[in-house]
Amino acid sequence: MSMVSLTVNSRPLRADVEPRTNLADFLRDSHDLTGTHLGCEHGVCGACTVIVDGEPVRSCITYAVACENAQVTTIEGLNDDEVAGELRAAFTREHGLQCGYCTPGMIVSARDVVLRMPDASEHEIRVAMSGNLCRCTGYVGIVRAIRSVIVERKARGAAPRADLRTALGPVGSGHAGAFAGGADKTADAPPARIASPVSRAATPRETAKLDADFVPQTSFPQSFVVAHPVDVVWDFFGRVDEVAACLPGASLVGTPTPEHVEGQIRVKVGPMVAEFQGVADISRDDARHAGRISGSGRDTRSNSATRGLIGYTLTPVEDGRATRVDVSIGYTLTGMLAQFGRSGLVQDIAGRLVSAFVQNLEARLGQGEGAPAAPVVTELNAGSLVYSVIVSRLKELWRKIAG
Amino acid sequence: MKPVRFDYERPVEIGAALALMQDEGRVVKIIAGGQSLGPMLNMRLVQPELLVDITAIPALKRIEDTGSDLIVGACVTHADFEDRRVPDVTAGALAGVARGIAYRAVRNRGTVGGSLTHADPSADWISILSAVGARVILRSASGVREVAVEDYMLGALAADLNPGELLEAVRIPKCSASARWGYFKSCRKTGEFAHAIGAVLVDPDRGVFRAVMGATETRPILVIDRAALFGASGFSTGAAEEVAQAAGMGDLLDRRTHAVALRRAFEQADAA
Amino acid sequence: MTKQGVGARLPRKEDDRFLRGRGQFVADIRLPGLKDVAFVRSPLAHARIHGVHIPDACRGRAFNATDLAGVKPIRAVTTLPGFKVSEQWPLATDKVRQVGELLAVCVGDTRAQAEDIAAAIELDLEELPAVHDMVKARDPGSALVHEHWGDNVFLESFMEVDIEKAFDAPIKITRTLSTARQSMAPMEGRGTVAHWDHRKEQLVLHTGSQMPHIVRNGLAECLGLNQEQIRIISPDVGGGFGYKGILLPEDICLGWLAMRLGHPVRWIEDRRESLTAGANCREHHYSITAYADRDGTLRGIDCEAIVDSGAYSSYPFSACLEAAQVVSILPGPYDFPAYRCRTWSVATNKCPILPYRGVARTGVCFALELVLDAIAREIGMEPHELRLKNLVRPEQMPFDNITKKHFDSGDYPQALNRAIAMSRLDEVRARQAQGEADGRLIGIGHSIYCEQGAHGTSVYSGWGIPMVPGHEQATARMTPDGGLELRVGVHSHGQSMETTFAQVAHEVLGIDTARIKLVHGDTEYTPYSTGSWGSRSMVMAGGAVATACKEVARLAARIGAHLLQADLAEVVIKDGFAVAPSGQVSLQEIAHTWYRRPQDLPAGIDPHGLESTIGYKPVRDTGTFSYAAHVVVVAVDPELGDIEILDYVIVEDGGKLVNPMVVDGQIYGGLAQGIGTALYEEMQFDASGQPLASTFADYLLPGPTEVPEPRLDHMEFLAPYTEFGVKGIGEGGAIAPPAAIGNAVNDALKGIGAELLHSPITPRRVLEAIEAAKVAKLAGSVA
Repeated sequence: MSMVSLTVNSRPLRADVEPRTNLADFLRDSHDLTGTHLGCEHGVCGACTVIVDGEPVRSCITYAVACENAQVTTIEGLNDDEVAGELRAAFTREHGLQCGYCTPGMIVSARDVVLRMPDASEHEIRVAMSGNLCRCTGYVGIVRAIRSVIVERKARGAAPRADLRTALGPVGSGHAGAFAGGADKTADAPPARIASPVSRAATPRETAKLDADFVPQTSFPQSFVVAHPVDVVWDFFGRVDEVAACLPGASLVGTPTPEHVEGQIRVKVGPMVAEFQGVADISRDDARHAGRISGSGRDTRSNSATRGLIGYTLTPVEDGRATRVDVSIGYTLTGMLAQFGRSGLVQDIAGRLVSAFVQNLEARLGQGEGAPAAPVVTELNAGSLVYSVIVSRLKELWRKIAG
Repeated sequence: MKPVRFDYERPVEIGAALALMQDEGRVVKIIAGGQSLGPMLNMRLVQPELLVDITAIPALKRIEDTGSDLIVGACVTHADFEDRRVPDVTAGALAGVARGIAYRAVRNRGTVGGSLTHADPSADWISILSAVGARVILRSASGVREVAVEDYMLGALAADLNPGELLEAVRIPKCSASARWGYFKSCRKTGEFAHAIGAVLVDPDRGVFRAVMGATETRPILVIDRAALFGASGFSTGAAEEVAQAAGMGDLLDRRTHAVALRRAFEQADAA
Repeated sequence: MTKQGVGARLPRKEDDRFLRGRGQFVADIRLPGLKDVAFVRSPLAHARIHGVHIPDACRGRAFNATDLAGVKPIRAVTTLPGFKVSEQWPLATDKVRQVGELLAVCVGDTRAQAEDIAAAIELDLEELPAVHDMVKARDPGSALVHEHWGDNVFLESFMEVDIEKAFDAPIKITRTLSTARQSMAPMEGRGTVAHWDHRKEQLVLHTGSQMPHIVRNGLAECLGLNQEQIRIISPDVGGGFGYKGILLPEDICLGWLAMRLGHPVRWIEDRRESLTAGANCREHHYSITAYADRDGTLRGIDCEAIVDSGAYSSYPFSACLEAAQVVSILPGPYDFPAYRCRTWSVATNKCPILPYRGVARTGVCFALELVLDAIAREIGMEPHELRLKNLVRPEQMPFDNITKKHFDSGDYPQALNRAIAMSRLDEVRARQAQGEADGRLIGIGHSIYCEQGAHGTSVYSGWGIPMVPGHEQATARMTPDGGLELRVGVHSHGQSMETTFAQVAHEVLGIDTARIKLVHGDTEYTPYSTGSWGSRSMVMAGGAVATACKEVARLAARIGAHLLQADLAEVVIKDGFAVAPSGQVSLQEIAHTWYRRPQDLPAGIDPHGLESTIGYKPVRDTGTFSYAAHVVVVAVDPELGDIEILDYVIVEDGGKLVNPMVVDGQIYGGLAQGIGTALYEEMQFDASGQPLASTFADYLLPGPTEVPEPRLDHMEFLAPYTEFGVKGIGEGGAIAPPAAIGNAVNDALKGIGAELLHSPITPRRVLEAIEAAKVAKLAGSVA
């Protein structure tokens, strides 16, 4: 726990809170200032908007400790505020609220608009208020109310805001010196990371059920040619530890058998890290020179799971001196990491992972049988190397365009 | 939707921040305004053991005029650009774009360095700063290097940041009086992440032509050869689509949308 | 009309507390010893449970289904023939059937700590193939959500009237249409604070609910308590729109925890839980064939529809809430002679489908109205002229339609004509023909619906769900100083009841609305009610308030007659006074006399005093039928697929409007939600049944720049069967917009030959439709 001090509604407030406590919970739970509402906790809906250092701020994605010594004003602190008073009257007159849940955040944002944009048109008000969602009113009464306050203030020559911010950087920051605090060490609290749950993945039941007809939701087919005969390449793909070593972030547990392997793959995506632990079944068709590695794993931290399928087919080319490798890598993701709408981002990340895998395969195969086998790309996020793959493909184009 | 427990440190010098980043015993994350990281922390998509808040470091909120460039600290916010607390050296481009980033309450804490390092392809800074030819200044214990903004993003959510390295500032070249810019983003609603961005800076006196197709789900596409986009009858949407295709944009409608966004950015630049 | 009574634009009594941050929502309740709750939820859509293991370190702070032995599952059964029953356990037992289903409940000092504990619970789940597509769910061989059913159909519903007589019609139009799964997304999520009150020996459960008494029914059944052992308090409710008209498994867990642990517990749903595990609604799929004559006369409608009901039948509305209604409401406000409709309520591995403003009607209106426009385009007729040919005419009212719905009153053609006139159709057509300088395409579209609201016993008894509304009761009680307390069992989640019921009481008694206090949202103090849903509160509870107030007036008149020494027959209650030829006495004095100076009253005075609890039903309980015509003008950007709403006109008839400002507010809000349905909101799932929208960055709610200010016009055809002639209007605004906007977009794109048949109409879908039309045109020219 850390002692955090803030000036809230002109009163100094202190509370012993964890660093992870956001400003809204600090206000609501430590000080019963329940007028600040949480609506989404990811910064979109605006219900939690409060004033920090004179500017509106999302209190759900701002940690209390990060605002040490800042000036905070909540809806409860606007009782005697001139503009808020005008807004309250206008919201009532124009029926700018129904259930009242978004209202405190609306008033805080509207007050900012009135003071900062004294000439705002209806459209400008709508744009400026777009960070505050209301599900009841259709915004009609809200926009009319704000507009009427702006028009009325202008008519009577009310002064716009004079105390314009001059400091640079995130509002709320810069009021306190260095902080070197720790997490909660009290005996009563559960460990910070409660026994990072014992992984079921070592012997996960679901992996016993790898159905043969599993079809990945996303697949990346790729092809390349290596200067080795099919048999050499086929042998290489039979050595699953070497294939696994080409997959960035992958590592094996125990000794793999020709049909079965256990291990994990660590994927780092920006600030996120997922570590999928699991098993894979291997099947190979010697006659067709085709094989598949079908695996599943779980990341207990994000409560997510993935199933993956690597299929490969080898075809002799150049009169048998070389081999074309058609490899298809597919996956299906479930759990928290899957539950987002921007699938394009995930595909870009997976695509880069696959590119790195293929690049490593090519490199290893290129070195030939028995050669020391250090993968070129060891972790996806060691990006510049991965990027070089893409660059090389686009080299010609870039030369043309970028000169 | 609350974060995992983490330790918190707030250094006041870059050196101290860099030292904390060396801690190999803990998962360390840097936080500035927290407007992108905050939601991910709340959803436990990111589970740090130590959060290093860099917003108390005065050097990261500094603005320096070198004569040819403006150097803007990593912790300068979108609102600092919008309100012109950051001097305008780009014919208003950066202030104009900043005004359309997310929402005002987010702009009051969200930082330019945080946005670039978060490396969301749909974010605004990566596109417009690529268009104006900005570079990022990256500092580590072993020294400083500079990377062009368009190269800083390696892909979705991946920045070219080595372990122990911190984005210190953005170097923004000053435009000449002849500079014109355009910025068009296609969103389904105000403040939403863009589905296509066109960003353009043309500065004849400096011999600069930079056109960016952004919000590509991966790195922005930069074109600096006017001939790749313009034919005898002006801007060619078809040529822009070809550029997008060559850069790996597989979907026909995506390519078209990006080409249209770029054309509209040029139209805006011409109208300026 | 008095200034405060029925018909007054009275500012709201409830506004001030909300504007000062003093509203009290569930999350704002503070109780000593309160601890926070987080749930362990299934990451998989369909899986067999082999274990929910609680580590020793978490014992006593985490509980699984084994701990909850003895608690009964939620069973929302209907008496409709063929309905298959699902059992929704508070914590899943053998299988999980949706992402987000509850597996364990964890208690911590803070929510963050409860989540820490939840993260430590080990799950052993065996993934099963997920049923994610309601159309494929009916295929033989599909995975089964409930194995013992043998298929995935909760209920099949069917109706047929002379359909073969339509088959020789010269015009036959067939379309497949669908509306996306949505989230109601009230700004406040669900939440429950529960504790055991030792003094009253009572479980007290605070939960933001539209129907506290129904929650108590369900909770008593699941927890095995008598009803008097449970008190449900619904404080200020931050929007509901149907989502807060449901008993959740979470409510049961919190009740159980409070009894087990002996201290107060609190669960506040976060947005991720709400989107991925709870608040889902509206997912319809239609195949419709319409038959018509060349002059636009409708000859018949033939439809098959599927509704994705999700994994469980939710309490109290059941899993056939939508699909079963589709059969009876698809004909809309039209009169035609032949009809066939078959619908299926299909189980899938998704959240249960819950009621949302406009229940079933929004999808039905979208499907039927888009098909009507397709007919109009086929025969080259203005769409409104086609509608005018087929709408029920005012001289037919009251009208029993082809599915035996009893349309009570109104003039549908007039509503449409007025809306068309307001929209200046001719000018729009001229502008459309001229073309836009910026290349955008102009389209005008409209839709018209009628909405059955406040339907009662005779309708719901046939359906046989756990909740059948009967008489609605209200209490009116004068206070000793001349004020008035009203008690109703419905509950406001933004509808302004504290103001509008006061207006109703004022209309009868003349007491200043500032002196009228509404008590609601607490089973301890209010009469039993099925609650606020189905556009019923003003019709039913408003009617009950009026009736109870009339009784209080009658009682007051008797006291007044004594005080005035007048003949009772001469006394009238008017503007807060009992008035007789001999003089007048204020209600305040009457109340003072009854309560404080009983010695002034004769021994034989009516002992009922100044208080009445009385039940009310409209003269006929088949529902009021409010209706509206919506006309919208859009500009479609054919390059980017963007749609801008240029003008929006609504002409509606809500009968007598108790507070026109509040009614307008309901229409504005409904419109915003309808625009969300039409253009923005979509809960997508992947083939594993994983929800792909877990934030408001994925699930787009319209903001201020997406919702225009519409132009409204009111008609006031009084409802023949209700108090004051009011009609239920709360939901209507959300019904027509997807249809009107869809028709406008299709009107804009008709030159290209593109047609949009799926909502939301996203830029991507617009571009795909344009692309498909180009390909088709090319193929046509080659052929």
